[in-house]
Amino acid sequence: MPSKAQTRTFEVTTRDLEGLPDSRGDSIRSMLSSDHGIEVGSVRVILGYQVMADISDTEAESLVYDLFADPVIEVGSSESRLLDGFPIAPDAAIQVGYKPGVTDNPGQAGLDGLATLYPANECAMVATFRTYAFWGVPEGISPEDLASSLHNPMIERASVSGREDCSRGNWPTLDFPSRPAASFQEPSTVDLEVSDQELIGISEKGLLALNLEEMKAIQDHYRDPAIQSSRNEAGLPPDRPTDAELECLAQTWSEHCSHKIFAASIRHVDNEIGEDCTINSLFRTHIMQPTLDIQEEEDWLLSIFHDNSGVISWNDEWSVCIKAETHNSPSALDPYGGAITGIVGVNRDILVTGLGARPIANTDVFCFGPPDYSGSIPEGLFHPSRVFRGVHSGVRSGGNESGIPTVNGAIVFDERYIGKPLVFCGTVGIMPRRLPDGRESHVKTPKPGDVVYMVGGRVGSDGIHGATFSSLELTEESPSSAVQIGDPITQKKMLDMILEARDAGLIQVITDNGAGGLSSSVGEMAELTGGAEIDLATVPLKQAGLSSWEILVSESQERMTVGVHPEDCHEFESLASLHEVEATAVGTFTDSGAFVVRHGETPVAHIPIHFLHDGCPQLRLESEWDPPTHMPVETPELDPDGMGRLLGRLIARPNVASKEWWVRSYDHEVIAQSVIKPFCGANHDAPGDAAVIAPIQGGTQGLVISNGIAPRYSDIDSYAMAAASVDEALRNAVCVGVDLEMIAGLDNFCWPDPIESSKTPDGRYKLAQLVRANRALDDVCRAYRLPCISGKDSMKNDAMLGGEKISVPPTLLFSLLGNHVAVKKAVSSDFKRPGDSIFLVGETHQELGASELSFMLRDDGLGGIGGAVPEIDPERNMAAYRALTSAMSDSLVASAHDCSDGGLAVALAECCFGSDSGASLDISPLWYDCENLDPWGALFGETLGRILVSVKPEDRGAFEGAMEGISCHYLGEVSEGDMITVTRGAVDLMFASMSELREAWKGTLHGGGPR
Amino acid sequence: MTPKVAVLSGFGINCETETAAVFEMAGASADRIHLNRLVSGDSSLSEYQILAIPGGFSFGDHLGSGRLLGNRLRFGLREQVREFVKAGNPVIGICNGFQVLVKMGLLPGDEEVSLTQTASLALNDSGHYENRWATLEFDPESPCVWTNGLERIRVPVRHGEGKFVTDDPSLMDRWAESGQLVARYVDPGDEYPSAGDEILPYPTSPNQSWRNVAGVCDPSGLVFGLMPHPEANHSTWLGATWTREETTHGEGEGMPIFHNAVKHVVDA
Repeated sequence: MPSKAQTRTFEVTTRDLEGLPDSRGDSIRSMLSSDHGIEVGSVRVILGYQVMADISDTEAESLVYDLFADPVIEVGSSESRLLDGFPIAPDAAIQVGYKPGVTDNPGQAGLDGLATLYPANECAMVATFRTYAFWGVPEGISPEDLASSLHNPMIERASVSGREDCSRGNWPTLDFPSRPAASFQEPSTVDLEVSDQELIGISEKGLLALNLEEMKAIQDHYRDPAIQSSRNEAGLPPDRPTDAELECLAQTWSEHCSHKIFAASIRHVDNEIGEDCTINSLFRTHIMQPTLDIQEEEDWLLSIFHDNSGVISWNDEWSVCIKAETHNSPSALDPYGGAITGIVGVNRDILVTGLGARPIANTDVFCFGPPDYSGSIPEGLFHPSRVFRGVHSGVRSGGNESGIPTVNGAIVFDERYIGKPLVFCGTVGIMPRRLPDGRESHVKTPKPGDVVYMVGGRVGSDGIHGATFSSLELTEESPSSAVQIGDPITQKKMLDMILEARDAGLIQVITDNGAGGLSSSVGEMAELTGGAEIDLATVPLKQAGLSSWEILVSESQERMTVGVHPEDCHEFESLASLHEVEATAVGTFTDSGAFVVRHGETPVAHIPIHFLHDGCPQLRLESEWDPPTHMPVETPELDPDGMGRLLGRLIARPNVASKEWWVRSYDHEVIAQSVIKPFCGANHDAPGDAAVIAPIQGGTQGLVISNGIAPRYSDIDSYAMAAASVDEALRNAVCVGVDLEMIAGLDNFCWPDPIESSKTPDGRYKLAQLVRANRALDDVCRAYRLPCISGKDSMKNDAMLGGEKISVPPTLLFSLLGNHVAVKKAVSSDFKRPGDSIFLVGETHQELGASELSFMLRDDGLGGIGGAVPEIDPERNMAAYRALTSAMSDSLVASAHDCSDGGLAVALAECCFGSDSGASLDISPLWYDCENLDPWGALFGETLGRILVSVKPEDRGAFEGAMEGISCHYLGEVSEGDMITVTRGAVDLMFASMSELREAWKGTLHGGGPR
Repeated sequence: MTPKVAVLSGFGINCETETAAVFEMAGASADRIHLNRLVSGDSSLSEYQILAIPGGFSFGDHLGSGRLLGNRLRFGLREQVREFVKAGNPVIGICNGFQVLVKMGLLPGDEEVSLTQTASLALNDSGHYENRWATLEFDPESPCVWTNGLERIRVPVRHGEGKFVTDDPSLMDRWAESGQLVARYVDPGDEYPSAGDEILPYPTSPNQSWRNVAGVCDPSGLVFGLMPHPEANHSTWLGATWTREETTHGEGEGMPIFHNAVKHVVDA
C-alpha cells in the first residue's frame, strides 16, 4: 500500500478558447436557476483526481495530458491549483468528493487508465472530486447554500471557501477518501431462549425486520433435537443460531425477498356489499392462477414466476423476457445512486434469466412529488425537483452507459410521493430458444458438484441490509450503508463475458447477487440441487476485515453467482480474464439438503434448505373495505375560448406536460431496432404511445412495450386504479398495432404498509385496497387474455419523519410486452395530413371522478375529486381493440393515440402537435352512448377503452366497415392552420390555438439550457 | 471476394451488434473482436480489410469520451493500427468510435499517421447527452471513400460530447480545403447544397460543433469518423418520420456508407 506522501492531485478544466464554453459550468448555472431559483453570474467546473501511486515526477508530468486532460480543449495541472489561474478570484469555491467507501466510477476509470500507462502500479488508488468556482453570487446566498445544492451529505463531502478565503487563495481541500479497514468480528451466536419482548428487540436492534411469529419459528427450529444433532456434527452451537444464520434467514424471509403480504392469509370484509371471506394468498389466487389457466391454452408461456424474469416464446428461434423492479428507498436517500443501482440491477435480472438473456430495452416509470412543490419538506428528504433530477440522471447513466435503449416510460406527480419516490425500472431481454449445445436457454441445469463462482464486483461493507431496510419505513435513522452507486462499466464487461460464456455452453445455472447478497443467491440456487457449500474466505473483498455475516449478506453490486461444471472451469476463468472480469470459485453445489457456510476452517452456517425457503410462517391479516367519500367535482362556467384556456392549463400540469427534455437524454435507439420511438410527428416532439422495436437487425417481426399507471383513481377505488392501469398498457399497445394473440403483462405493486398497527391504524383499509386491486387485475387480465408472467411488490412505501407520516397512494404499474407481426405496418400517434378523418373508438361516459381535471379544479379551490371513476368494461374494450388492430393490419389507420390523462381534449391536442395542424370536431355522436354526458365529461373525462384515430379520406369507408358493430364515431377532420375547434352540433364548446397549447405543454418540465 | 470487417468490442462499446449487422447487409463478413484479443495476439488486424470502432460508452466516458479506449489503442496497438491504415484499409469510427479515433490522433490525422491529437470533441453546448435526429450533408469534393456519391442522409445523434473543435483555428481551413470536413449538419428545410461554416441554431446543430462538423476523414479519405449513427438507420422502418412518408420499404439512408467501403475493398 503506497503511503500518503505519494498522493498527487491532478486538476483539469476547460481551456479558454473562443467558441468553447465551459458547458459543465453553464449546466450548473442553469440547474441552480431552474431548481433552486438562484441566479449566479458564472460557474467554472474543475475536475480533480487524487492519485495514490508509486510514480515519479516525470511520470506524473506525462499523466497530465496523456491521461487526465485533453491536450486540445483542456488545461491540466499536477500539484498546483487551477483556481489560482483565474484573473478574478471567485466569490465562492466548493470542492465535492465522495465519502470513503462510496463507489467512485470515474475514479475506477482513472485507475484503469493509469494501468494502461503504468501497469506496474497494482496497489494504486484514484479518487475524484469536483471544484466549482462561482462569480456573481447574489446577496443572501451563502457558499453553504450553494454547497448543499451540489452535494448529498449521505455519500459526499464538501469543502467550502467563501469570498474572504477565495480572495486570499485559501482554496477548499479534501483529503484522500481512504476506506477505513473494517473491524473483523469473530462469528457470534444469538441466544433465542428469551422472552417474546426480547425476541422483538433482537429483530429491531439488528434491522432484521422479522415479526414475533417469525422469530418464534426460528426459535422452534433451534429447539428441534434432530436439528441440534446435525448442528453438533457440523461443529456449530446446537441450540442457537450464529449471527450469520440469523442474518441469512432475515434476508431470505424479508418482505422484499419473500413477499409475505402477497402470500398472507387475508380475512377480507367488504361492508359495501356485505362480503366476509378468506383469501389464501393474493398472489396465488389473483395473479398466478389466471396465468396458469391461460397457460393451459397457449403454448408460448415458457417460464413464469419462478425465474428472475418471465419468459415467452417469441418465435421458433428466439424467446423474450421482461422484468421490472422498484428501487424506492435508496432513491429517496440518494436519488442518483439509488436509481442507477435500480436500473443496472434489473438489467441483471434479465442477464440471469434461464442461462442468460441479453437486455435489449429499458422502461422507466417514476412517481415524484410535484416539481413546483412549495410546501415544507420534512427533515431528511430532498425537494421533489432534486429527486427528479437525480433519479433521471442515474437512470440515464445506467441505461446509456450499458448500451440498452430506454424505449418507454412515464412520470407521475403527486404530493404523497414526497415521502418516498417510486422508481420503477424495467428491462426486456432476448435469448435464443436453444443454445449451440442444444439446451433450452430458459431452463437452468445445475448438478451437485458444479462449482459456485462469484463473478463481477467485489464485496464491501456497502449495501448491507438493503433487503431488510426496504422492508421497513424510511426514518431519520435509515442507514447510509443501504445506499450504493451502480457501476455500469463493470457490469457491461460482465455482461459481454456472461453472454459469451452462455453461448460456449459454460453456464449451468446463474443468478444475481441482489438483495441479500450471497445468502440469497446461493441459497436460492441451492434449492435446485438440494444444497450448497461456500467458503467466505475465498470471496474477494473491497476492504479487509469484513465479518463473516457481512460477507454473506452484503449487497455490493454488479455481482453474479454462476454454476459451472468442474471440467469447464478453466475455460470459464480464461473468458473472464479476457474480459477483465473477476471470477472466483467460492464453493460447490451439493445435494446434502443444507446450505453450508464456512469461513476458512470455521463453520459459520448450516441451514436446511427446506427451512430456509419454506420455514417462514404465513402471515394472517385482516382487511376491511368501506368506500371513501369525497366532495363532488364542481365545474366553472366558461365560454369556448375560456375552455381553450383551461385546456392550456390542464396540458401544462406536470402529469400531462411534455417530458421531452428528460426523455431526450435517454438513448432510445441503440441496438438499431427502434421503429416507434418515444417521439413522433413532423417535429419529433409528439408523444408516442407504446414502443415498437425490431430486435433482429433486418427482420420485421417486432416487440411492443408499453406501460399503464393510474394512481389517482385509488383515492376513490383501487379496483378502478388497477383496471385502468392494465387497460392503459393494453390501449397504448393497441395504438401501435400489437398482435393481441401474444401479449404478456408484468404487475408491479407499490403500496403503503397495509398491516394494521399503532403506526398504521388504517391498515385494514389499505389492505382492502390491495385486495380490490388484485381482483381487478384478475378480472381484466382474464378478459384481455393477458397473462402476468412476472412481477414484484414493494409494500412499505411510507416515510415517518419528524413525527409526520407520508404514505404513497396505492400504485400499480402494469407493463406489457407483446408481439408485432409486421413492424412496417406499425402506427404512430401523430395526425398525418389535413383532410384526414378523425374517429373516436370506444364509448365515452360521464366519468370525471379522480380525473386530472378534477384535481386541477380542486387545486383551484373548486369542489373535490369525487364522482364516477372510470369503470372498465373489458369485453367491450377488447372487441374494439380487435377490430382496430385488424384495421391496422389492413393499413386503414393513419394514426392512433390513446385517451388517458385529460381525456379526449388532451389526446386531440397531442395528435395535432405531431402534425403541426389544427382540427375541427363535432362531438355530438358521443351522446349516442351516454345521454347524461356533459361537455366536461365529453372533453376531459377519462373513460377507459378509448383511442383517437385518424384515417385517410379514401380509406374512410373501408375503416367504417372494419369497425362495424364497435362504438366508433366520426368526429371531424384534421385541418390546416393552428385552430382546434370543438362543437356539439351548433353549439361551440372549445376554441384553442395548437401552437399556444404546445408552448404551454412544453414549458412546464423544461430542465434548463437551450430551448 | 467478401471483405472481412473487424468490429471492435469490449469495455463499454455498445453498438457492435448493429455495426456488424450493417456490414453483413452490405455484403461483407463481420467479426466482433474483443480489443484484448488483438492486444494479446489472439487475433490480428492483418486478417481483415476493414476496421470499425462502434459507438458506446467505453469506460463510461469518464476522463473524456473515447479517451481511455483511445489510450488502450494508442499504447497497446499502436503499430498494428498504423500498419493497417498505411496499408490502405478503410477504418470507420462511429460516435464513441469517432471520439476514440480523434483522441488517439488518427483523425483528422496526417499523411505520416503520427497519431498526434489535433482536434477534440467537447461537451455539447447544451451541457448534456441527447438523442435526436439530424440531417447530414457530405462534401462532394472530399476524398472520403465512405461518403462517395452521397448528398444528404437523416440519422440519429446520440451523444453528450460531439462538439468538434481544435485549438488551432487555421487547421480548420486546412481540413476544409483538403475535403476532410466531410460531414456537416444542415437544416433539412434548406435546398441542397447548403452546408456552411456559420454555426446553425440548436437543435439543427445538436452540439454547436465548429463549422457544423459532424464527421471528418483523414487526408487519404480511408479513415472516417462521425458523431451520428448511420448504422441506426439501416432500414426504412427505423427512420424518425417514416410513418408520415410514402415509403417503399427497404434499406435505410445510412446504408450507402457501408456499401461504399465494401465496394472500395472489392474494387481494390
